[in-house]
Amino acid sequence: MASPPRRISEDDDYDGETPLERIRPFGTLHRKQIAFVPASGDGHLNSTDTAISSGKAPRQDVADIYLSMVLPEDVKPRSTQNTTSAGTSKDAAPPSVCEVCKLPMTPLAPEDTSQAPEGVPKPATPHETSLAHQLCLPHSHPPSALDRSRMGLTYLSTYGWDPDARKGLGFKQQGIQYPVKTKVKDDKLGIGMEVPKNLPPKKKETMLDAKKVRKMAEEEKRRAARIRQQLFQRDDLEKYLGPGAA
Amino acid sequence: MATKRSIVEGDSGSQDLKRVKMGKGGDAKDDKFNPYLAHHYEDDNSNGNGNGFSSPLDKLERHKTTAAQASKCEDSDLNPWTGQPHSQRYFGILKTRRDLPVQKQRQEFLDMYHSTQILVFVGETGSGKTTQIPQYVLYDELPHLNGKLIACTQPRRVAAMSVAQRVADELDVKLGEEVGYSIRFENKTGPKTMLKYMTDGQLLRESMHDHDMSRYGCIILDEAHERTLATDILMALLKQIAARRKDLKIIVMSATLDAQKFQTYFYNAPLLAVPGRTYPVEIFYTPEPERDYVEAAVRTVLQIHATEPEGDILLFLTGEEEIEDACRRISLEVDDMIRESDAGPMKVYPLYGTLPPAQQQRIFDKAPEALRKGGRPGRKCIVSTNIAETSLTIDGIVYVVDPGFSKQKIYNPRSRVESLLVSPISKASAQQRAGRAGRTRPGKCFRLYTEKAFKKELIEQTYPEILRSNLANTVLELKKLGVEDLVHFDLMDPPAPETMMRALEELNYLACLDDDGELTKMGSLASEFPLDPALAVMLISSPEFYCSNEILSITSLLSVPQIWVRPNNARKRADEMKMQFAHSDGDHLTLLNAYHAFKGAEQNGQDVKQWCHEHFLSFRHLSSADNVRAQLKRIMETHDIELMSTSFQDKDYYTNIRRALVSGFFMQVAMRESSNSKVYKTVKDDQLVMIHPSTVVQSPYDWVVYNEFVLTTKQYVRTVTNIRPEWLLEIAPIYYDVDTFEKGEIKSALTRITEKIRRRQAMKGGR
Repeated sequence: MASPPRRISEDDDYDGETPLERIRPFGTLHRKQIAFVPASGDGHLNSTDTAISSGKAPRQDVADIYLSMVLPEDVKPRSTQNTTSAGTSKDAAPPSVCEVCKLPMTPLAPEDTSQAPEGVPKPATPHETSLAHQLCLPHSHPPSALDRSRMGLTYLSTYGWDPDARKGLGFKQQGIQYPVKTKVKDDKLGIGMEVPKNLPPKKKETMLDAKKVRKMAEEEKRRAARIRQQLFQRDDLEKYLGPGAA
Repeated sequence: MATKRSIVEGDSGSQDLKRVKMGKGGDAKDDKFNPYLAHHYEDDNSNGNGNGFSSPLDKLERHKTTAAQASKCEDSDLNPWTGQPHSQRYFGILKTRRDLPVQKQRQEFLDMYHSTQILVFVGETGSGKTTQIPQYVLYDELPHLNGKLIACTQPRRVAAMSVAQRVADELDVKLGEEVGYSIRFENKTGPKTMLKYMTDGQLLRESMHDHDMSRYGCIILDEAHERTLATDILMALLKQIAARRKDLKIIVMSATLDAQKFQTYFYNAPLLAVPGRTYPVEIFYTPEPERDYVEAAVRTVLQIHATEPEGDILLFLTGEEEIEDACRRISLEVDDMIRESDAGPMKVYPLYGTLPPAQQQRIFDKAPEALRKGGRPGRKCIVSTNIAETSLTIDGIVYVVDPGFSKQKIYNPRSRVESLLVSPISKASAQQRAGRAGRTRPGKCFRLYTEKAFKKELIEQTYPEILRSNLANTVLELKKLGVEDLVHFDLMDPPAPETMMRALEELNYLACLDDDGELTKMGSLASEFPLDPALAVMLISSPEFYCSNEILSITSLLSVPQIWVRPNNARKRADEMKMQFAHSDGDHLTLLNAYHAFKGAEQNGQDVKQWCHEHFLSFRHLSSADNVRAQLKRIMETHDIELMSTSFQDKDYYTNIRRALVSGFFMQVAMRESSNSKVYKTVKDDQLVMIHPSTVVQSPYDWVVYNEFVLTTKQYVRTVTNIRPEWLLEIAPIYYDVDTFEKGEIKSALTRITEKIRRRQAMKGGR
């Protein structure tokens, strides 16, 4: 194919070279073009054959280059989030890391002190009371909901599986704990398309024409008559004159 | 002979060149095998092998061969394995084989193979690993010396068969002799077989009788990255066996995706990687998520056709219906494009598993020519399920359209339903699909989702099959293999405990395992059959119901794809024909009737193919059912399971069969919600289901037994037969112990029936 690929959507203007009938859009579907975007960065598949591939050097992470300049040599690049964020206090005091929750034990965070009223005594060990620390403390889990009388459970327990230990099967009991979830897809929505959960039912905007207005007026009239009847009807009169007599 | 030789030498000039090159590339120590000095040691030990002819193989020493030596053997005029002269075709194939990417690393492979027991081999599609590596091993293992076979497993039957044929051609031997294959219900090997291609499931079955796999000297697990259930189990077993049998060599072959995972799993086994022959692929994403992925896919195909240069298109969709629909829409639109804007012609081919082979073959047709000279070139577009992702290679594909979905099997141990559901694919899968565009030249892949969705929404790897399957069969096999500790069994991805528990319990109810989980006699017998435990148990207990012949037929029919053909353009006619065989009490019985009619036509000497065509039955599937039946019959005979039938005139002929069905499928029973309702509720799992519209059952009965649960937009049970609830209590009293049921309609119905039976018995006793 010698001719360059044409983009119908982009050049709506007649460029004077291609015959008109070629540009004209046709059909229904192929008129709606999708503006594909190329993959970013190294998203493309590179050839694995060295002869074909362009032989680009592996891209060095910008962050790594930066860190190698800034940090002393013995520090590994991108060590942790903590060192960079708390980098200022790094030289001042060695950050003591909590044994339990593996978080650095800092004194109270500045905003906490500012919010604390003057009179209230500071908690003795503020770190131990923090939510992160509390959650990391060893604690018991609620027992598994599996029926203990099941034959399968008995069998697995005799080989050392504990239903309450929150562990899977396998050599190191590293397996998944719960079965893979089943999810039925009964629509044609593409990946990443999200439907808001409680979408308000679409109200159709209706244009009123004379006919509809007349109809509405009639409806109104009938309703008024019905209400009137219900309020002012007289049983004795109706007996003689039939329903609908006021 | 002389003329033959001269012909061979005449056209193998390039090989001589190669041979020299190989010699240089190989070891220095092989100068003894300088081809030009071969006559010096021709007679060294010419009587070495038992084949009665002198073969270049005699000079080779097991596990010490080099690539150069092997190449020399391959180049010789006589076939080293048979002693017959090589055909001319052989040298033609040899030439193409020498161009494969693996060939460059043959020596490297052998060095590594010699140095280790377990080897992980990574080669992309197109590297030639499936055909070449087993042959490299063959020239190194020299199976004729110690009588140990080489096995190469494949996840798919078709692959095992076609690769075996190809390798037999490459070695210039007859398929079934030196090279053979073995798949479920079909064994094409012989006493001379040295290299055996087989499905992974077949090797697993074999190992039930040979726990050490002692017949094999080397086992190659191919396509391990597909992580089929059987491959996963085999890997765990081989890990154990490798410790016991130091002489067994294992090669795990995978595409690049997660080779490191295999390496770590096999005690950091050495890894050898061979590049494939792939070209770069440009990847494009949509700027926004798509509202309708089928429509977007059709639009993309048309857009490619209108704007991109020559090259074929591969579109991935999920199922038959969707694919046929898309094919129709694309064809119509292309016609429009040709009329209106002089677009090139385009042929659209569907591709899915249930498509007849002749139609599947059409995807290899050439793309159509330009409509007139100088016109825009034609192309073909293949709309496929994910079989085109790995199992099938179509050359000429330059554009891939990937909506990001596939149908995947998923098992829910709580509702005990195994279903095929449309699910998002994994990143690995998406990369694999994209790679399909770069087989012949640089290509493009259009993904119908955003780059963000690719990164955030898709999981890294597809869940291995073991996490998505019912494990009843697997557990039975493991039990038979002597694996007791199912908790610490070293699987690469152990399944969820609940799935394992379910499997144990199902086997317990089927009396294959006792209450302590020990294999029973029934279980041991059931594992002899290459069938699901429920089917095997039904078959084994069928003599108790005097209908083992019939149950054998039904079992075979249930083990092959649907025998009913229902073409879109003749649905009504097909349904009418089916009604000819219909038995109002059940689809199982209808299957049996159709089979009997088929056999009858065969005996009358009719043209069976024609007969099947007229009756809208699949000749292919019926004959394979016939074949399966013969295999199963043989197994039954070796285990003394009596084959018998009730007389057809007997009024209990069909009743007996229905009762026998219950003996295997009592866990797949549904009760009608209320009379005249179309909704049924499955026993114990309480799933609301409808009977699949394909049924012939007219249902005066409230209870049915079903063969499978189909989860689409609705929940269906397919292939059902009416039963009486009394049978359930009688045949499966443990499962139908009323006390174990949760309160509900089914419990009260069962209580009523128990009561009725008790009263009837009391009356009988009173007399």
